[in-house]
Amino acid sequence: MPGLNVPQADVRPDTGAAPAAAAPVLVGHPGLVVCDECDAVHKRIRLSRGVVARCRRCGALLGRGHVVTPTGQLAFALAALVFLLIGNFAPLVTLDLQGIHKTVTMPHAIWLTTQAGEPVTAVLACVTAIVFPAMLVLLRLYVLGFLIRGRVPPGFRFAMRALRWATYWSMVEVFLLSALVSIVRSAGIADLVPGMGLFAYAALTLLLTSTTAAGLHSIWKLGSRLGAG
Amino acid sequence: MDEPIRTGRQLGLYSCHTCGRVSERTGHAAPDAPLACPRCGTHLHHRNPRSLERAWAYTWAAIVLYLPANLLPVMTTVSLTGAVPHTILGGIHELWMNGDWGLAVIVFVASVAVPIVKIASLVLLLLSAGRNSTWCSRERTALWRGIEAVGHWSMLDVFVVVLLVGMIHFGPLAGVEPEPGLVAFGAVVVLTILAVSSFDPRLLWPDPADNPPQPNASPPPHE
Repeated sequence: MPGLNVPQADVRPDTGAAPAAAAPVLVGHPGLVVCDECDAVHKRIRLSRGVVARCRRCGALLGRGHVVTPTGQLAFALAALVFLLIGNFAPLVTLDLQGIHKTVTMPHAIWLTTQAGEPVTAVLACVTAIVFPAMLVLLRLYVLGFLIRGRVPPGFRFAMRALRWATYWSMVEVFLLSALVSIVRSAGIADLVPGMGLFAYAALTLLLTSTTAAGLHSIWKLGSRLGAG
Repeated sequence: MDEPIRTGRQLGLYSCHTCGRVSERTGHAAPDAPLACPRCGTHLHHRNPRSLERAWAYTWAAIVLYLPANLLPVMTTVSLTGAVPHTILGGIHELWMNGDWGLAVIVFVASVAVPIVKIASLVLLLLSAGRNSTWCSRERTALWRGIEAVGHWSMLDVFVVVLLVGMIHFGPLAGVEPEPGLVAFGAVVVLTILAVSSFDPRLLWPDPADNPPQPNASPPPHE
């Protein structure tokens, strides 16, 4: 069989099977984009700032011209970290009922919900309003911090996949609207003043929305250029 | 612009949903051999495996839990005059009667309209995808995209109750207690999000050229 007389790079016992020939090879095509929603193949084009590319067949978003550079994204993530800390430690609102003063933070509200016998709801609110947003911000700081200095962070693949997941399940913007709704609903019961935490969450919503809108493909590409996969 | 559209399945191209890399499969392999994206390790498929089964399972679970989510109270307000249970719809009614119409509309859209529209859309998408329908593929894909975008907003009422529990906490004077309906409601929200994300919208584009598969699996011998 002349076809098998290829130079062998490593010496291994001949078992009859040829795993190297059987393994499928996946060749990269950086010049193409395949739509995630309808599988249509497109040529990749360079998008100028703020321009959005949509699939010709189904209209899905294919890409966005980068508005924020990687350095800018790192700055956004740092600012988001500050607002996340303020949003969770500073009071969202201060209430006053017949002389009884009360300040409310989200971690405290979650704790009281657990105490009241609804731990599942408390965990759901905790992960979507605090844990995933925090993961999102910290993973962005970690990944971008390394990439900007020209290094691939350890565990890059894992961090990026966790980041995608955290972004999908983080609901900061919903939480902000809920805070406003609950303020209106309790305004009839007690006198209340919005606190620093509420404004911090508003700033956090703006920052996260503007950074996550660009998606993660550009960070993957940056990692690839530096030698990750 | 009028070039015919080719699909990844026709050309043997796989797009990675995690990192966007486009991979072309070369070499001989079984058609169902597992493929992983070389850049990020995500499994590559032309259609996500068992997408319809998983999406149906999540949808049915959401439909079942939809009843307790709306019939059971989500919270109880305690005051000197007694304890009053509130359902989701009751809370909206209360906002409306108090004159907070804008807010009542927001909560109604997030807590009632969005879950109903999501579940109805999921059933429509799943039924039509199960029949390999080519009817209005573009519009159905847009519908899928829409229910994916608005899904998170139904969490509104879960956060509202948790915050009210934290805010109205004045002993016997005034208090808010969470109730089991809230767990069911939160579960409906999470289950519909899972159903939408496990549905592969590429199933809305059944390709006559793909079915049956082209007999080009074995490339001609060049050597």
